Amino acid sequence: MADGGRPLARRIASFREWVEEWLHGLYHGMVEHPSFEKIEKEAEDVEDTFLFACFADAFGIPSPVSYYTVELLPYLADEFEAWERRMWDRGSWLERKGQQYHVH
Amino acid sequence: MQKFVFFGGKGGVGKTTVSCAYALKCAEAGLDTLVVSTDPAHSTADVFDQAFDDDPTAVDGHERLWAMEIDPDEAVDRHLTQVRRQMNQQVSAAIVNEIDRQIELAHRTPGAHEAALFDRFIEVMRTADDYDRVVFDTSPTGGTLRLLALPEFLAGWIERLVAKRTKSVDLFEKAAIGDREARRKLDEDPLIAHLQGRKEKFEFAGRTLREDSAFFLVLNPDELSIRETERAVAEMAEQDLGVEGFVVNKVTPAPDEDEQGRGATWLRDRVGTERERIDEIRGEFDEPVVAEIEARVREVKGDLLAAVADELAIDADAGSVEA
Repeated sequence: MADGGRPLARRIASFREWVEEWLHGLYHGMVEHPSFEKIEKEAEDVEDTFLFACFADAFGIPSPVSYYTVELLPYLADEFEAWERRMWDRGSWLERKGQQYHVH
Repeated sequence: MQKFVFFGGKGGVGKTTVSCAYALKCAEAGLDTLVVSTDPAHSTADVFDQAFDDDPTAVDGHERLWAMEIDPDEAVDRHLTQVRRQMNQQVSAAIVNEIDRQIELAHRTPGAHEAALFDRFIEVMRTADDYDRVVFDTSPTGGTLRLLALPEFLAGWIERLVAKRTKSVDLFEKAAIGDREARRKLDEDPLIAHLQGRKEKFEFAGRTLREDSAFFLVLNPDELSIRETERAVAEMAEQDLGVEGFVVNKVTPAPDEDEQGRGATWLRDRVGTERERIDEIRGEFDEPVVAEIEARVREVKGDLLAAVADELAIDADAGSVEA
């Protein structure tokens, strides 16, 4: 039997495709995207800790290794600049945490 | 046989004299010898009446003997220039100023001198193939001891930094879904490579200090010097570094028996006190006293240096104590 000239099997197939696409979209929007975003935020957090361990003296904490870690700065210039700004500006840091844990 | 021989001790006990005398002894025994001084006062120059700099220079009038003086200030400045040059190659001009402040700061911290000195030590040890013996005349105070403890400490620290960095890069890779390019990648991360290189250097230093080095402490026969030496031995033991022996320097010569004047009496008293101290050193420590060097009337240089070298019972060939 045909409806609109299409066999039932084709209609079912295209419906399944549609459902799959929607499900994937739903999954991506509700699970995948937020969690990857979260992972990336966590990566940034770990990187912040790393930067702090390297350049604690930027905040007045003397570090016995800063003489050596300063050699890393040429590779880290952009991150360092952003990190320093973030660390000095606690407001934006709180905002960031809010985003990260969806408490807004 | 230890290739690297370190002389340590508190300021003013005569480390430079003893180091230079020992280096001379090694050179005269047929070993190509380099004496490395870290004393900013440039006392090696005074001993040999010749100016030295950061590169090994042959000592005039002595075969097989070279000397160099490491200036920590200069080493710090050189490092600063290097990092800046690298920075200018990699970083856009707009951001350089911000970063420059941090670079400047890192080179003004109290530890910078020690770190620079330690770097030069490692460099000298790595490139010492031309010499049979390298004698380090280390700078006074606890600085040197802390220096020797650095490799372990720094290697541990760097390990933690690498772990942190690896974790963040790994997370960045995981966050890159589908066709998205990861913001950082593990196998091309220049930071991890740089840190690993640093760590290898420190491990090399630790190994060399433990396996190919001998340490001697120079002291004077007085209470203060003995206490300082006690602390030094304990600190070195903590680092698993053994002290080979002590050199007692500036021992007062005794007057002749028949001299009874006021000066002679004073001297005899003094010699008596020093004897007690030396007995204390011999009794209290497990490490042997390898030399008792008499105080000289004049600065030790020239022929006097050779005489002092003869008084040193440290075997030039084996870097160990003569029987």
